[in-house]
Amino acid sequence: MNAKLFTISGLTVVLTAGLVAGLIAGQTLAAGSAEVRTINLPPDTSRLRSSTLPGYNLALQKCGICHSADYISFQAPGLTQAQWTAEVGKMQHTYGAPLSDDEVKSIGAYLAVAYGSAKATDASIIAASSAPAPAGNATKAGTEIDVQALLDNHACLGCHAVDEKIVGPAFQDVAKRYKGQANALASVATSIQEGGTGKWGPVAMPHSTNLTDAEASALAEFVLKQ
Amino acid sequence: MNDDHYSHASRRDFLRKAGALALAATPLNAMTATDTSEGVTFAAGPRPLVRYPGKREMILVHSRPPHLETPFPVFNEGALTPNDAFFVRYHLADIPTSIDPATFRLTVKGTVKRPLSLSLTDLKSMTGQTEIVAVKQCSGNSRGYFSPRVFGAQLGNGAMGNARWTGVPLKAVLDKAGISAGAKQVTFNGLDKPVLSSTPDFRKALDIDHALDGEPLLAWNMNGEELPFLNGYPLMLAVPGYYGTYWVKHLSEIEVIDHTFAGHDAFFMTKGYRIPDNDCNCVTPGTAAEKMRPIGKLTVRSFITSVKPGDALPAGRAVDLKGIAFDGGSGIKSIAVSVDGGQAWQNAALGQDLGRFSFREWHLPVTFASKGKARLMVRATSNKGEVQPMTATWNPAGYLRNVVESTPVVIG
Repeated sequence: MNAKLFTISGLTVVLTAGLVAGLIAGQTLAAGSAEVRTINLPPDTSRLRSSTLPGYNLALQKCGICHSADYISFQAPGLTQAQWTAEVGKMQHTYGAPLSDDEVKSIGAYLAVAYGSAKATDASIIAASSAPAPAGNATKAGTEIDVQALLDNHACLGCHAVDEKIVGPAFQDVAKRYKGQANALASVATSIQEGGTGKWGPVAMPHSTNLTDAEASALAEFVLKQ
Repeated sequence: MNDDHYSHASRRDFLRKAGALALAATPLNAMTATDTSEGVTFAAGPRPLVRYPGKREMILVHSRPPHLETPFPVFNEGALTPNDAFFVRYHLADIPTSIDPATFRLTVKGTVKRPLSLSLTDLKSMTGQTEIVAVKQCSGNSRGYFSPRVFGAQLGNGAMGNARWTGVPLKAVLDKAGISAGAKQVTFNGLDKPVLSSTPDFRKALDIDHALDGEPLLAWNMNGEELPFLNGYPLMLAVPGYYGTYWVKHLSEIEVIDHTFAGHDAFFMTKGYRIPDNDCNCVTPGTAAEKMRPIGKLTVRSFITSVKPGDALPAGRAVDLKGIAFDGGSGIKSIAVSVDGGQAWQNAALGQDLGRFSFREWHLPVTFASKGKARLMVRATSNKGEVQPMTATWNPAGYLRNVVESTPVVIG
């Protein structure tokens, strides 16, 4: 508390910073007006409509970095594949979303089917969805899990770095916090799969439910080793 | 694919109407409590009512970053929009959630003689404090009614509000810093940030003449209380007469520049929030304007607030219609009301004048002679002669909507 002492006619008066400000401004401020203001935002419960199209996994990974799924679901009904693809292109070009041109087409196709006028069987949807989809499957039967590919494909590095906070915490800070905890691997793996907010700050991490348990566990192990 | 939405909507509609029949004496506000569509359709609705910090139940437009619409019956409560019902709109998801008023600083820099770092105490100690009642309205308010539809927040008419703002004129702070020769624009930045560095920051610019004309205000109070956190606590730029995009929240940085704002973080001036630069600020759907310019002043609008679409009104006795109107700062000259779909018009009585930037209330007692369907319309004329159009104009971003509103009712 930033208190000041004044002596007036032999009396010692303690004035808080807020009261000083109030006197100077010629108005009475409510008690405690200099307190820190903090809000807790309700959790984002909006979810994308599931689909077997590869654009669904991409949308899960990429769109949620910057906005909730209701940015999509509360658009107008009946928009076309061309319109949805152009909108995803806008995210790529003007808002700097980490998307390749093929990913833009694939997400546009998914959104047009899930929320617009297109059908999954449309030739143009199939064509747009046949682009190479790096949708999380860095694991092939009998091979090791490629953690670097998972980090890339799930856009983890858009928000995280090993040694510094970007949007989300540094992997080293996560490792430090969980050090010595018995359930560290499972906790971090769950956080990676389900996303969340509040543990590290107000910016939510999108969920990555398309990761297999083994992939999430491999990512968690990588993070905890930093 | 969208069937779930429509069946939902119609069931809700049925329940609402059934409720209305059972409780014919229920006040309007209570009856509409669960109707969040405001007549707009969505790819996957309906929009829920939600509670956010400092707010009553509001219509969810988006969760992250938060975007909340005011339920329309609120505008029938009075000319000033209550703080806890005032709409909320952010662009970037990395928003502040904790602010210490003791350490908060507003910096003033750039083409000035004395760069400043002002605390809230500094600002509140300045002479020349003032207050003004002014409408803040989202550029895309009513976008959901555009035909053909366009991308963006599919808003009903609730992304607007009217409040008494208290603060110090922007001019006073700029004078304190001392504008150097060659100043061309003033830019404004708040504490909200993009999630990714590749995303442009949300910054706005005003021409130096506008910044110094005494109207823009650095406001810390709203309707006599400190700004609600989600409306820009502890300091917001109020730009009376201008669309809400200029009313930068959590204002923390002012920079005077000797050029027209450009570059990566000028996106919301140079590429976003732009309108066709022609007589109607409109284009034929599907075409592009030859030239675009940043959005500016509010268009003239008016609403009936005491009746909602589909209401039943009695025949043969007086019904007092009431509503609100506003424009970009010339003030409202007259309000004309039609109860026959736009054939005959009669002037309404204007309510208390809270200033030329404020909502102006109006009311008109009308008596419906015959039973059956009727269409109520309201049309405002501003002091500078701007009249609401009878047919809607169109622009690609869904801004500036101000067509004469039409409310279907049943008399009987």
